Amino acid sequence: MATYEARSEVTGSVWNVVCEVGQRLEPGDTVMVIESMKMEIPVIAEDGGVVKEILVAKGTAVTEGQPVAVLEAK
Amino acid sequence: MSTAGRDEPPADGGWAAELEELRFRLEQAQALGGPEAVAKHHQQGRLTIRERLRGLADPDSFAEVGTLTGQGRYEGEKLTGVTPAPYVMGLAKIDGRPIAVGGEDFTVRGGTSWSGDRKKGGQGGFVEDLARAYRIPLVNLIDGAGGSVTSIQRRGHSVFPGVHGFEQSVALLGEVPVVCAVMGTAAGGPAGRAILSHWSVMVKDTAQVFAAGPPVVERSLGQKITKEELGGARLAVDVAGTIDNVAESEAQCFEMIRRYLSYMPANVWELPPLTDSGDAPQRREEELARIVPKDRRKPYNMRCLIELIVDRGSMFEIQPTFGKSLITCLARMDGKVVGIVANNPMVYAGALDVKGARKQTHFVELCDCFHIPLIFLVDVPGFMVGKDAEAAATLREGMRSVYVGLQATVPMYTVVIRKCYGMAGMGATDKNGLDFKIAWPSAEWGSLPIEGGVAAAFRREIEKAADPKARERELEAQLRAQASPLRTAEAFGVEEIIDPRATRPYLCRFIDAAQGRLRTTVGPKPRYGVRP
Repeated sequence: MATYEARSEVTGSVWNVVCEVGQRLEPGDTVMVIESMKMEIPVIAEDGGVVKEILVAKGTAVTEGQPVAVLEAK
Repeated sequence: MSTAGRDEPPADGGWAAELEELRFRLEQAQALGGPEAVAKHHQQGRLTIRERLRGLADPDSFAEVGTLTGQGRYEGEKLTGVTPAPYVMGLAKIDGRPIAVGGEDFTVRGGTSWSGDRKKGGQGGFVEDLARAYRIPLVNLIDGAGGSVTSIQRRGHSVFPGVHGFEQSVALLGEVPVVCAVMGTAAGGPAGRAILSHWSVMVKDTAQVFAAGPPVVERSLGQKITKEELGGARLAVDVAGTIDNVAESEAQCFEMIRRYLSYMPANVWELPPLTDSGDAPQRREEELARIVPKDRRKPYNMRCLIELIVDRGSMFEIQPTFGKSLITCLARMDGKVVGIVANNPMVYAGALDVKGARKQTHFVELCDCFHIPLIFLVDVPGFMVGKDAEAAATLREGMRSVYVGLQATVPMYTVVIRKCYGMAGMGATDKNGLDFKIAWPSAEWGSLPIEGGVAAAFRREIEKAADPKARERELEAQLRAQASPLRTAEAFGVEEIIDPRATRPYLCRFIDAAQGRLRTTVGPKPRYGVRP
């Protein structure tokens, strides 16, 4: 079991959190959506896994590279 | 039976001693820095230069030059051993095509520079002369720490910078493909050499690259930092773009070098090799008709889009982890090599930022140099905006990429997938050539996007309206209807609107037709003027 952080690739604000703590995601699933440059940019759970922690709430400003959730992959 | 008065030559012709010495010297060269140094090198998870050459080149294709160079040890007149020069090089083949290849031998004095009568390689030297004289690609396998102050002791004087300069390295960039692979810790000259390449790659964890390493940094700035933090792939590739790609292992690194060179001609007087892709140029992918979401706020996967268009399995991405708002890759269309520049709507909506612009500039120049037609898959809202973007000089770097695009003479194809706005949009067109612009029905363009643009241009009218928000939306809707790409096509302001599924067949036809033009315009491309 390895934990990893899902990071926003862009500066923007949290448009929508689309997963819950405890939820299992497949690799490539969306963790949350960041609004940036008038577009809805997904943050992807690269390796999938169980969502351990969500670090930012809807409406929060995030910067490029900021961790937004912690996941535990197999 | 002997003849009186004449010495009969011995059966070996009299050269046995010399041949034995040659054999001994060749054996010494194979031993590199000796078993202990080689074992230590292996313990660090790194291959020796000779293992690297075997890993990279076609089997038995390496013909060494300068095998005997080094420092002989003598007892009286008798040779007892040779410490080889810390650089191994020669001629080899990749996929049956000749290359000049060389690399430092880290097991001898850490691959530091060596002074014989003639330099072997590293910065200039025979290997670079060979690549240039024979017009064949150069591959540098870099694993050297550069100069050492101990050379002052050895020579009795200090050497002026550039005494072994980069003149040949620079000239090569206009004539033959140059690949630099950083295989260990490269500082100073070897690090600089790595940058003077068309494409560079480094090995994860075991390679680092920097102008100067941790001891110098601590002495100069008081910063305590590990060499991995200072110049590992995470910084040098992902953050800085100093090196283009990262390989997971040395074996993967060799595979990537072989792959990269498969897209390149031997030199600028030739065209890249044609391959039989086994993929029909007429192939139409249904997925392309629905890949762009109708909702303009929703992005899509541009890499998938590229893969649906190019020959199956032919996409080789350059700088995939740097400047991620732009995708640059080499690929094939009906077996012919093409370069693809695509905006990535998943990162800043594909806006061209300073890193993306730098990436585009280099890639366009690379393709132009080696006569590789360019396909722009455009979805760009413009240059990146905001204080950070301005502070990073996005405007200057963006205009530099526009400038280089305008100097390029290789055929270019502009395919507008969705947004094409502003100067970044202009930078994705062939204004100096055919200026051939193709669009999907999902395309939209202008000097700036309608949203925001309406608020600025109709500010008074919107403010005066009873319901300003509603008025703004109404104006936007009006303008959007008039901004249909089909209306621009009526005016021949865009040359063709195509069904997205026809993208591959359509482009293949024109790329095929451009081959004659490409064949008749080979050669170096000198450039004039001052880049902004």
